[in-house]
Amino acid sequence: MRIRIRNGKDFYAGLFFFFIGIVTVLEARAYSIGTARSMGPGYFPILLGYLLLMIGGGTAVRGLWLKGKGIKISSIRPLLMVSGAVLSFAFLLKPCGLILALLALVFISCLGSREFRIRYAVILFFVLAAIATVLFVYVLGLPLPLFWSK
Amino acid sequence: MDIFNNMILGFTVAFTPWNLFYCLFGALIGTLIGVLPGVGPAATIALLLPFTFNVPPVTALIMLAGIYYGSQYGGSTTSILVNIPGESSSVVTCLDGYAMARQGRAGPALAIAAMGSFFAGCVATVIICLLAPTLGELALKFGPAEYFSMMVLGLVGATMLAHGSLLKAIAMILFGLVLGLVGTDVNSGTRRFTFGISTLFDGIDFVVVVMGLFGLAEIISSLDHEKKKEILTTKVSGLMPTRSDLKASWKAVIRGTVLGSVLGILPGGGAILSSFASYALEKRIASDPSRFGIGAIEGVAGPESANNAGAQTSFIPMLTLGIPTNGVMALMLGAMMIHGITPGPRVMVERPDLFWGLIVSMWVGNLMLVVLNLPLIGIWVRLLTVPYRFLYPAIVMFCCIGVYSLNNSIFDLAMATGFGIVGYILLKLDCEPAPLVLGFILGPMMEIYFRRAMVLSRGDFTVFFTQPISLTMLLAAAILLLMNIAPIVRHKREEVF
Repeated sequence: MRIRIRNGKDFYAGLFFFFIGIVTVLEARAYSIGTARSMGPGYFPILLGYLLLMIGGGTAVRGLWLKGKGIKISSIRPLLMVSGAVLSFAFLLKPCGLILALLALVFISCLGSREFRIRYAVILFFVLAAIATVLFVYVLGLPLPLFWSK
Repeated sequence: MDIFNNMILGFTVAFTPWNLFYCLFGALIGTLIGVLPGVGPAATIALLLPFTFNVPPVTALIMLAGIYYGSQYGGSTTSILVNIPGESSSVVTCLDGYAMARQGRAGPALAIAAMGSFFAGCVATVIICLLAPTLGELALKFGPAEYFSMMVLGLVGATMLAHGSLLKAIAMILFGLVLGLVGTDVNSGTRRFTFGISTLFDGIDFVVVVMGLFGLAEIISSLDHEKKKEILTTKVSGLMPTRSDLKASWKAVIRGTVLGSVLGILPGGGAILSSFASYALEKRIASDPSRFGIGAIEGVAGPESANNAGAQTSFIPMLTLGIPTNGVMALMLGAMMIHGITPGPRVMVERPDLFWGLIVSMWVGNLMLVVLNLPLIGIWVRLLTVPYRFLYPAIVMFCCIGVYSLNNSIFDLAMATGFGIVGYILLKLDCEPAPLVLGFILGPMMEIYFRRAMVLSRGDFTVFFTQPISLTMLLAAAILLLMNIAPIVRHKREEVF
C-alpha cells in the first residue's frame, strides 16, 4: 500500500517539529537531568523535547489522515533574493563600508520583486543611502564606516 | 488618594517635551504603518527596537506603545476609505465602513470611528488605573507555582488567536521555549544548545529572532503573492455625523468599549478578538440585522471602539504580571528587558514613573491621534498608492542596520537571515510566528519558576494543583484548550480568520 500525504502543510510542519524535538532531546541528554526536587540543566529541555516529539509526530500522522491543502509556493525568487540581500550586506559591510553594502542590499532585494526595473533600483539606492547616512551615521551616531578603510 | 498622586506623577512624566515628541512620533509612525498593508505593528516595533537604546526606557516604551495604538487608527482609515484593512483588527470595519463610504458617507464613518476609539481609549485608561494596582498587589503574593501556572495560561491563551491548527500553535510555543533556553544556564552554568558557538553563550538576541520572523519572513511571503492592486479613492466630504448617526452609535460605542476592555485583559485577547466579538454582538442585538454589511454605522462604531479598548487593556497583564497576551505585548516585554527592567509586579513599585508615565502617555497619544488624524486623512490615503516594491528594500535596510548595530556582529545578521528563512517556511506551513515569540520570551522565566516551585514542594508535582490560585489558572487554561477543540468554536474560528 502506498502512503499518501493528504495534508502537506500538516505533514511537513509535523516533521519539522519532530526533527526539532529529536535535536532537543539528543542535545539535552548531554546535560545532567537531576531529580524533580533539584533539577539539572537538562530536565526542562528534555521535557520540552519529548512534548515536541509527540505533537510533531501527531501532526505529521494527521497530515497523512485528514485531507487538506498542499503547500503552494509560486516562486522561490523572493526567498533567495531577500536572504541574499541580507547576507551580502553582512559580508560587505566591514570590508567595503556602508554605502557599497547598501548598494548590494538594494539591488539584490529589488530583484526579489517580479516588477524589477533598474531605474527604480538606482533611485531607491540613492534615497536609502542618503537616509542611512544622515539618520544612522550622523543623527544616531552608529559606528558604521561609510566607505572601506585601510 | 493614592491614584491621584500616581496620575500626577504620570502627567509630569508624559508631559516632558521629549516624551511628548516621542509619543507623537510613535503615534504617527503607527498610523503610517497601519495605513500601509503588509507592514504590521509587530514588525515595526521590532524594527525600531534597536534604535531606542539611547533614550530612557520610559521614552522608548511610550514610543513603542504609540506605534501599537496608532496602527489601530490607521488600519481603520484604510478599511473605510479603500476597503483594505491595514491591520487585521480592522478587518470587520471594512464591511460596513466601506459600504458607508460608497454611499458618500465616508466622513461620518471616519469621525465615528475616531470618536469611538478615543472614548474607548479614555475608558480603558481609567480601567488600567483602577485595576492594575490591585492586580499588581495580588501578583506580589504569588509564589513560583502560581507564576508557572499563570505562564501556562498565557501561552494557552496565545494559541487561541493563531490561525490554523491548535497543535501547530502549541508546537510553535514549544519551539520558542526551546530557543529561549539557548545559552548559559543561570543555575548550573552549563552551556545549553550552543553547539560550541561562542556568540550563543549569552543566548539568542531577542531582536534577531523577531527581525527574522516578523521582518524578513513577512517580506518574503508578501513578495510571494505580490499582485497589482487597484485602489479606488473615495472623496471625503463633510466629516460631521448627523444627529441620527450619533443616536444610533453611542450605545454601540459603549458596548464595544466594555467588551474590548474585558477581552483585552484575557490571555490571547487584544484588539483583533475584540473587534470581531463586538461586530457579532452588534449584529445579534440589532432590531434589523439585515442592515449590517450595507452601511450600518453601529458596525463601525462598535468594533472600532472595541479594538482600541482591547489594545489598551492588553497592557494590564503585561505591565502588572509580566505576562504578554499577544505578539505585540511580547515585543513590549522584550523591549523592557533590553532596557534592563525585569517585567513583573515589581515594576509598578520600583518604577512608578515608568508605569504611570506610560499609561498617561497612552491617553495623550489617543488625544493627539483624534486631533491630528482627521485633517491628515488625505495624506494617508495618498500614501496607500506607494507600491510595495519601493517599500520593502527600505524595510530590509532597517532590519539589517538594526540587527547589526546590536552587537556589531555579522553572525547576528546571518542568524536573522536563518530565522527569516525558517519563519517563511513555517508561514507556508500555516504556523504563525507570534506564539513562538511568546514562548521565546517566557521560556527562561518559566524554567526558573518551574524549578523553584519543585524545590519548594520537594519534588511534588501536585503543588500546581493544590494551591488554589495556581489550580484556578490551570483550570482556566484547560477550559480554553477544550473550547478551542470544541467543534462550535473551531467552526467560528475558521469563519473569522
